[in-house]
Parts: sequence; C-alpha cells; structure tokens
Amino acid sequence: MKCLFNLSFILLSSLILLFIIIPIIGLFNGVGFFNLVEAFGDKEILYSVLLTMKISFYGTFFVLVTGLPLAYLIARNDFRGKAIIESIIDIPVMIPHTAAGIALLMAFNRGMMKDFFTIFGISFMDTEAGIMIAMMFLSSPFLINGAKEGFKNVDPKLENVARTLGAGRFSVFFRVVLPNAQKDIVNGMLMMWSRGLGEFGAVVIIAYHPMIAPVLIYDRFNNYGLIYSAPVAAVMIAVSLSTFLVVRGLNNKRSSF
Amino acid sequence: MLSLRNIGLQKGSFTLKQVSLDVKDQDYFVILGRTGSGKTMLMETIAGLHKHSGTVSFRGRDITAMLPERRRIGFVYQDFALFPHLSVLKNIRFSDRYRSRFWKRSGNGVLETFTNKQWDELIDFLDLEHLLHRNIRYLSGGEKQRVALARAIYSRPEILLLDEPLSAIDPSFRNTIMENLKGLNNRFNITVLHVTHNFREAAYLADNIGIMMDGRLLEHGPAQQVLQRPRSLTLARFLGFRNIFPAQLIQPGAAGLYFSVDPALIKLSESPLSEQYNVQGLCRELKEESDHYKLTVDSQGHTIFVKIARQLYDPQVTTIGAEMYLGFGEDAVSFFEQEGNADEMSL
Repeated sequence: MKCLFNLSFILLSSLILLFIIIPIIGLFNGVGFFNLVEAFGDKEILYSVLLTMKISFYGTFFVLVTGLPLAYLIARNDFRGKAIIESIIDIPVMIPHTAAGIALLMAFNRGMMKDFFTIFGISFMDTEAGIMIAMMFLSSPFLINGAKEGFKNVDPKLENVARTLGAGRFSVFFRVVLPNAQKDIVNGMLMMWSRGLGEFGAVVIIAYHPMIAPVLIYDRFNNYGLIYSAPVAAVMIAVSLSTFLVVRGLNNKRSSF
Repeated sequence: MLSLRNIGLQKGSFTLKQVSLDVKDQDYFVILGRTGSGKTMLMETIAGLHKHSGTVSFRGRDITAMLPERRRIGFVYQDFALFPHLSVLKNIRFSDRYRSRFWKRSGNGVLETFTNKQWDELIDFLDLEHLLHRNIRYLSGGEKQRVALARAIYSRPEILLLDEPLSAIDPSFRNTIMENLKGLNNRFNITVLHVTHNFREAAYLADNIGIMMDGRLLEHGPAQQVLQRPRSLTLARFLGFRNIFPAQLIQPGAAGLYFSVDPALIKLSESPLSEQYNVQGLCRELKEESDHYKLTVDSQGHTIFVKIARQLYDPQVTTIGAEMYLGFGEDAVSFFEQEGNADEMSL
C-alpha cells in the first residue's frame, strides 16, 4: 500500500517536472550550441537582455524600499482594513497584463500625473521608466508577499528583547528583523526580478521600444519566424536562469548561518 | 523601588486586572502562577512593551510612558529569544552600541562601561568562555539560558525580568542553574523579577513572592509567609496545601474559616497521643516513595493525608486496615478564610 502510494505520487510529480523541463531542453536543443554562442555575440540581443535585467532590477529595488515597510506593517499588526490592503497587493496577479498596461498608461500618461512627472523629466511612453512601471506593477506582489512571510517568521520576542537591550525601532528593524527575514526577502526579490524579466503584455502596450528581451523575441518571431527568435529566447533564459540560481544558492547558504 | 499601580491591560485572551505591587531594590521577587495567568504579560508591561492603564514607577520616577529601550530593564524569555543570526559573543554584546548613546542622551552621570574584569567575571560566573564563538543553534537549553542571562546582565539593567527561565532546561541541570540565579540580585546589584509556575523554584529563589491568578495579583509578601501561611482557601489550594477542613472541626464557632494540617507534621501511634489535636482513623492506603511513606487515613468521614519520613516509619502502626491515632500541634495548622469560590480551584 505504502509502495503504491509512493509510486503513484512519484509518477505524477515526475510528469509535471518533465512538463516544465522539456520545453527548456527543447529550446536549447533546437537552437544548438554554436547558434547560442553566436547569439551571445549579437549586440542587439545582448543589449536587450541586459536592458531587461537592469530595468527589472531597478523596479525590484524600488519595491524593496517601499514594499518592505508595507510587508512589515501587515506582518506585525492586525488592523481594520488589513484584508483589503492584502487584496490590493494581489490585484496585479489577477488582472490580464495587457489590461494592466492600458491602466498604467491611463493613470501615468495623462493629465495631472503626466504633468507632475514631466516636471522631473520623466515620461512613460516608449521609455525605460515606462518599462519599469509595467514590470513593477505586475511583479511587486512576489516581493511584498515573500517579505511578509519572512517577517511573520521572525519571532516578535527577538524584537522585544532587542528593545530592552537599548535598540530603538529602526535599529531593531535593521539589526534583528531584516537579517532574520533575509532569506525570504531575497527570494521574494528574485521572484519579482525574474517575473519582471518575463513581462511582455504590459510592456508592449507602454514601450515597444527600447526593446526588452520578451519584446525582441516577439518582434523577431513576427518578422522573421521561429528560427530567428529562438536564440534570443535561449540567451535570455540562460542568463536569467544562471543569475537566479547563483543568487538563490548564495542566499540559501548565507541564511543557514 | 519598582512600583506598579493599578496596571490594567487586555490583549487577546490575556488580561491584567488592576495589578499593584512594590518591589524593593535588589529584591529577588518571584511571581508564581499557572500558565495563562498573565505573568508574561505583566513582565512585558513592566518592560514597556504594552500600552496599559495605571502607572509604573522606578525609584520614584514615573516611567509609564518611557520607551523600553530607555528603561534599563533586562528581559530573559522562556525560550531565551537569542538572535539566531549572531554568534554567542555578538548576542551578549548586542547592547554595546546603545549603552553609550543611552548615557549621553540621559545625561545620567558617568558612562558605565563593562570593565575587562567585570566581563571576565560575568563570563566566568556563567561559564561561557568556551561558547563565545559558537553558533547559538548548536547550544543546549542550559547554555542558551546562560547566554541570554549574560546578554541581559551585560546591558547593565537595573531590573532583570526572568520569564520561566528554567522551564526549557533539562531537569538534571536545573539545580546548577538555580544556584546561578540565586544571588544574582546581590552579585550584580539588580532587582530581579522572576515568573514561574514551579513552587520549588519559587521557594528556593525568592525573597518575596507574589501569586498571580487569572490576571490578578492575589497576594504578595515574604516568601515563607506567602508559601506557608496563605490567606485564603483559593491560595492554599493553589499552593498545594493538603488536609483542608472547616475550622469548626477544631474551633467551634469559627464559621467561614478553614484550616489545613501539614501532612509531614502529623504523628501516628497505636495508642492515644498527647498532642493538641487528636483523632482516630483507619489506614486505607499506604504508598512508598523514595524517602518517605504516604498514608491515606479515613477519619469521621474525612480523608487525611499523612507523610512519614522513612526513618520514622513503623510497620507495626502503619499497615493498611490498621486503626491508628493521629495527633498534631499548633505548628502543623494554618488557618485561612474562604475567599471567592472555593471550588474553582481543584488541584
């Protein structure tokens, strides 16, 4: 009985794992080693991949600064309207990405908001700032929710003790709470950053140019077909996956103190 | 002196109900109460971690509104709450950067630094030298407790709050740690407040004891007095007093009063005794313990428990089914009033 249980669960688990892995292997296999090396030498592809990574990182950093306080407040307090705030954070996950792009354009590229950002020389149509708000809007829940779970896992008694030892609230947050929630926060950052890298629907509405990798893949696929878009996809996956694995590996190693 | 006046607080299912208490400087004060009686919440309130009604003052100064980081009150939690990301040494020295700031801000005289000698004394006293560079994850309960104590003492508190500090300790190490705790107040010139549910711990450590039940501080005073002469039936039962009977049995007219007889001070004999109080009974049960015997004797519709030291045990007198005489003097008797619902405590 136990054997049948294990066997059936392992079989079903293997099916879903294969479903995830096979397309990745198929992509690299289809592109081939030499085409992949050649694609790494293609300046347009490299520029696009690096631009995608850079903008997604900026977005992640912005949400880190603003989202951590929000995540901490939610994790540590019970208050009226908390469920509503948690739902607001999850809104981006639920709406279609193209619809999010339209909403962002309507909000930031018209009227007073547009005028306000123009004062600082910021515009969103076909700019890096536009790409950043699209990525940020759709991927911020991954960081905020990850950090929230991390903060919940930090025993409030640690904070209490730190305060009796003389630490003020800010000091407790930076010296006790953050280091102990670090693993979840960095994982949340990674999830947000990775999700930002793949953002297409909202970005393509706001900023077709400068072309981030997902837009470049789409553009080449539309104009030249599968054979020309596959190497871009392979480079993008290779770079982002290796960055993801390295950072996560380091984070897990550091968090085990 | 630490003075609490009418401390009231409701948080979740825990409540503090108008707690008032005075604790003298350098006193070792134990608050005894069951789990869930509000002891930890009272300690956190004293540390400034909860908003509450009433006032907290220390040496005549009202500190009710003072932030926890400025109170100079150390805290050791039941599970020690050591910082998992820091080594033993860094845990202990966590307060380093705040002490100088505190003294500068308060303008409170000379900066008190821990001299090398005092540091060595602290580390030696708690036997921490070999642990200083260890990861706290790999420490035993006793080692964690010593680190938590060192961390609190190193921050130079004037009051040290200990929340069930022995409950997570292996019983074989408890005596050693109790010895460490005893005299902590005098060694480091601090007032110690220690909460526990363990009577033995309280009796061994306390100069003064307070008893807490359901968020109320029912009684407080010198340890011997509180533990041996409880004022009410409720407290007597809570403290594990046996042989509780209406006082009318030995003092006709003492309505509403109860008395308890110490099972260890009851004498047994085959023939009538010349004690102040004497009764006759039938031995129903006899149980052998490590260093004594426990007897259950039925007498005039009441059940009396007797504890006989092994060296005083006489098999001729104490056998199951034997008729015997029981006698006890004034010193074995404690009187108390019926206060509240006597049936609410059934230990």
